[in-house]
Amino acid sequence: MSDEEHHFESKADAGASKTYPQQAGTIRKNGYIVIKGRPCKVVEVSTSKTGKHGHAKCHFVGIDIFTSKKLEDIVPSSHNCDAPHVNRTDYQLIDISEDGFVSLLTENGNTKDDLRLPTDENLLTQIKDGFAEGKDLVVTVMSAMGEEQICALKDIGPK
Amino acid sequence: MQGFPGGLPDLAHLQATMNAIEHACSLIQMHMNPAEAESVIASLHSSHMPYQTCRFIIETSKVPNARFQAAGAIGDAAIREWGILIDENKRSLIIFCLQYVMEHASAPDAYVQSKVSAVAARLLKRGWLEFPEAEKAAILFEVKQSILGNHGSGPQFVGINFVESLVSEFSPSTSSDLGLPREFHEQCQSFLEMNYLKEFYCWAQAALLSVSNKILEHPTSVPEEKVCSAALRLMFQILNWDFKHTANEPDNSHSRINTLTSGIRHDAVMLKKFDHSLVKPGPTWNDVLISSGHTSWLLNFYATLREKCSYDTLWIDSPIAVSARQLIVQLCSLAGAVFPSDNGETQIKHIALILSAIIQWIDPPDVISASIQSGQSESEFIDGCHALLSMASLTSAMLFDNLLTSVRPYGTIHVLSSLTSEVVKILTVNQDEEETWSADALDILLETWSVTLGQMDGDKTILPHDRVFAASSLFNTIVESHLKAAADSALDENDDTEYFHASVSKRDERLASYALIARAAADMTVPFLVRLFSERFSLLSQRISGNESTRTLEELYWLLLITGHVLTDSGEGETALVPEALQAGFLNVVEAVHHPVVALSWSIIQFSRQCLDTEMRSMYFSPRLMEAVIWFLARWVATYLLPLDTRKEQISTTYHDDGSQHESQFSRKILLTFAVEHNQVDFVLDSVVRISAATLTLYPGENELQALTCQKLLAALVRHKQISVRLLLLDSWRDLARAFANERALFSVNARIQRSLAETLVCAASFIKDSEASAQYLRDLLGPIVACLVDNSSRNDLKAVAQQADAIYMVSCLLERLRGAARATQPRTQKALFEMGHSMMNPLLTLLEAYKNQSAVVYLILKFVVDFVDGQVVYLGAKETTILINFCLRLLQIYSCNNIGKISLSLSTSLRSEAQVEKYKDLRALLQLLTNICSKDLVDFSSVGDDENTTDISEDIDVFEKCLSAVNALASYHFKQRSAGKEGLNAQTVESQGSNGKLQESITSHFLRLLMQLLLFEDFRMELAGSAADALLPLLLCEQDLYQRLVQELLERQPIPALKSRLASAFHSLTSSNQLSSSLNRPNRQRFRKNLHEFLVEVSGFMRIK
Repeated sequence: MSDEEHHFESKADAGASKTYPQQAGTIRKNGYIVIKGRPCKVVEVSTSKTGKHGHAKCHFVGIDIFTSKKLEDIVPSSHNCDAPHVNRTDYQLIDISEDGFVSLLTENGNTKDDLRLPTDENLLTQIKDGFAEGKDLVVTVMSAMGEEQICALKDIGPK
Repeated sequence: MQGFPGGLPDLAHLQATMNAIEHACSLIQMHMNPAEAESVIASLHSSHMPYQTCRFIIETSKVPNARFQAAGAIGDAAIREWGILIDENKRSLIIFCLQYVMEHASAPDAYVQSKVSAVAARLLKRGWLEFPEAEKAAILFEVKQSILGNHGSGPQFVGINFVESLVSEFSPSTSSDLGLPREFHEQCQSFLEMNYLKEFYCWAQAALLSVSNKILEHPTSVPEEKVCSAALRLMFQILNWDFKHTANEPDNSHSRINTLTSGIRHDAVMLKKFDHSLVKPGPTWNDVLISSGHTSWLLNFYATLREKCSYDTLWIDSPIAVSARQLIVQLCSLAGAVFPSDNGETQIKHIALILSAIIQWIDPPDVISASIQSGQSESEFIDGCHALLSMASLTSAMLFDNLLTSVRPYGTIHVLSSLTSEVVKILTVNQDEEETWSADALDILLETWSVTLGQMDGDKTILPHDRVFAASSLFNTIVESHLKAAADSALDENDDTEYFHASVSKRDERLASYALIARAAADMTVPFLVRLFSERFSLLSQRISGNESTRTLEELYWLLLITGHVLTDSGEGETALVPEALQAGFLNVVEAVHHPVVALSWSIIQFSRQCLDTEMRSMYFSPRLMEAVIWFLARWVATYLLPLDTRKEQISTTYHDDGSQHESQFSRKILLTFAVEHNQVDFVLDSVVRISAATLTLYPGENELQALTCQKLLAALVRHKQISVRLLLLDSWRDLARAFANERALFSVNARIQRSLAETLVCAASFIKDSEASAQYLRDLLGPIVACLVDNSSRNDLKAVAQQADAIYMVSCLLERLRGAARATQPRTQKALFEMGHSMMNPLLTLLEAYKNQSAVVYLILKFVVDFVDGQVVYLGAKETTILINFCLRLLQIYSCNNIGKISLSLSTSLRSEAQVEKYKDLRALLQLLTNICSKDLVDFSSVGDDENTTDISEDIDVFEKCLSAVNALASYHFKQRSAGKEGLNAQTVESQGSNGKLQESITSHFLRLLMQLLLFEDFRMELAGSAADALLPLLLCEQDLYQRLVQELLERQPIPALKSRLASAFHSLTSSNQLSSSLNRPNRQRFRKNLHEFLVEVSGFMRIK
């Protein structure tokens, strides 16, 4: 038996793939999975067998992390599924432009100007009002499979 | 009416209120705007002195629901305002209700009448201890007159109905809430039992007699039937009473002899399972129930009526028939001193009498089951089964069997056996339809078997041969029916996993009952199982395939389950013993090879080993079959591998005394030692470990199978020292440990199962005597895991790499493994595990920071720390404690600084609520952590900023209770420190920021305010009163001035003077009664708990407390 070392296999290079194969049986509730080409958060997993003496299969219910659409999939539990790389990055909010784009401050001092405000009225007002009141806001941007969206907001500013 | 409470409002006002209530009631009925309608009705219930209004509604409204609500409002208001009503008010409310129901006895909408009647009963009970005896007697005299039929059949029914409400109100399990302590209910219960209960029974009997002739003589149904069924129901209810005054109970030394000579059991098990209990009303009831011939009158009455109505198939389910049978079944359970002390003679006669009557309900089984299947009601049959169960639990097996001899040529056990066979056959044929009558009947009958057979273990009475034969032939029928059902269902494609999970414990319960029957005839049934098993096994050796093999696999699956139950007891959490019936049986077996249990065990182990053969595995060992194999092995290993008796090297010597027992002892010894002989232990252990390793690596994705392997089978191996010691020497175990530490393969097992595996592997280390060897074992096992986390957390490119899905997966697995290891902490392994944890502390903080946006990883880190602290904290000295506490505090700081004030934005409500749930889980883990740390007394808390959410989560009782215990720990610590003259919680904590951003006085006063608010104004639950008291006391002691100020504020805010003074005195006795002192020792805490409870009861009328 060989003594392998456990190491993260990924390298930090830019060309890393957008997904990673993971055995269906190991994906748990609240994990991530790609269903029909969309990155999803798993909200329900159930297992069943194909016939009484067949193999287990997993039934996943996922919610698209960007569009919130519900998607479902059934996979034999020994097979691999694609798990998306879901990244979250914090940026300080520096401006909201008239046309609905935000201006964010990156860690190395540049700005990132290609993100839209969320469309939902409720979330929109939370950001807009906070910004208008002069609070220092940090937004968390979630990115997966080439898409990005603001997913959390935090007030770090002075009262 | 004189003395009716409340001033008389003007008619227009009454009319307006009535219209509003009527309108609300009709809205509710039409399901329109129910919330608003309910609030209108609730306002009537909670309004001040609503009696005149309610009375007006009850007397004038045409809407029955409005009358119903008004009656309820009288009850609620009177209970709430009891203290401000004068005696005359109370009496007139009761009399009003009673008069109303008497006058409207034959009105439609009977539910209104019974509600009004129930309100009268409730109020009568509330005043029971304060009303003068003559007053109560006068009320009850009136009721008696109507029950005896002096005012016609309408009031007769009403009177019975009222007494029924009264009895149910006085019985603690069915009483309604009066806002009074338990003692009050107990006093009332005892009073009624002593003075009225028997009298009530006689009234009901008299009512029954007065109408019975008319019912029997009249060819069609008559209105008196209503009175009759009400009287029967009342009698049943009275016999359901939990009798306390059963003087002259024969003491236990006598009962033993009684059992032996008469066969009546005094140790009778309670029949709780089916909501029946023994009825022990005591000697005073003898005349009413026994010597008067009451039972035979009732049996005749039922039989005559049954005969009369035999043309009507619906009659069996008519109220009169149902209540008569209920009463008959209840009379079966009659026991104790109600029978004269004549060595059980009267009681046996009584039981035999009932049996001879009810036997027609159940015998012959095949005829009756056929008629039920063609549409006849099953309720009489089910009641008959209940009666059998009651009788079985009161009699010894011999007596039970002989009860029937006067009316049948065969014994009761024969009837039981053929009944059960019939029911099993029907059940296995109609397996798809759940909850059929056959399932209910089978449960009752199996319980009857358990009761009959269960006692034999103790008494050593051996059933005569033909009874054993009855058990054995029943078991054959059971097995054959189930095997057939298994084979028939083998090809079903239906996904019945959910159904399977819901019913798995049900199935196990049933199988365990079958197993009892099998053990009663072990000499015949175990060889039978050996034969069935080897037949199926040999089919597989012939390499059958296709549907035939699937059918065989399903049969084997079922056989493994039933065999596991026959050979072993479930022993959840207990030491598994070889079942006594198996030890005592097989008298003539002298060699291990001929012992059927031994043969059965080896053949199954040989069969299990076949799964190690690649070809056999891929052809036959499906995940489902493997689940049964693993389950069987887990139970077998725990019971037979090294039975407790041989582990202690002492087989009980009591059997040497008696020469005739010598052979029994020999077969006993075979059973206890056969695994140890010829070094079979290592062989079995090696097989088990290799089979386990196979399920973990060769059945990818089969989570249930793998969970069973780790949590049941491997866990059973490391439970006992002798087994573990041998296990650690096996190559296969070492290989498994090495694979776990160093190979990738086991990472493809579900992370939760990796946790269990780690727990098991670490657990074994605590049986290594040599501490260095044990530490080395742990280093080999966990070193690579720790090293990997340490290395990766110190990578320069961590930030970029960490977020990748595979890295997250890897970290999660490693954390789960560490958590499993932490949970297996034992005194002997504690040091090594602490070192491991110590080296992980900084990397964990780095990872927490790196994964701050991956809530799943954050949660795992928190859970690991929770388990680590829990396992370690009791062992640690001052230095290690400081290290641990500092680590925890930094962890909390990082966590709070990343999470407090964060708002999760998501388009989808379900994702948002998921995020909310995750936060709760985090919070729960944090609170657990705090409580764990607080259990150590020497800690200096510097930051506890996370408890601020307390008010939002009063919904979740579990979290709330944890919050309270954390607050309790915190405040107690602060108080103790301060009274010792130290600083206590340091300044940083004491000046906490409130949610409004304003600087508040101190954290203890903040909590005091919160808790007072919760207790008095929020929806506080009484079940939390204990933990609330524990948290409140130290807070009170810390912040005495603030508390006084808060009380003052509360009193000033109360507008009604009467309530104000009650509140003031309640607050006063909260802190001064029961000699409460200012300390935190246990007795004082108990006193305060009592005080707070009384306080809450007292103020519940006018504050919001549920």
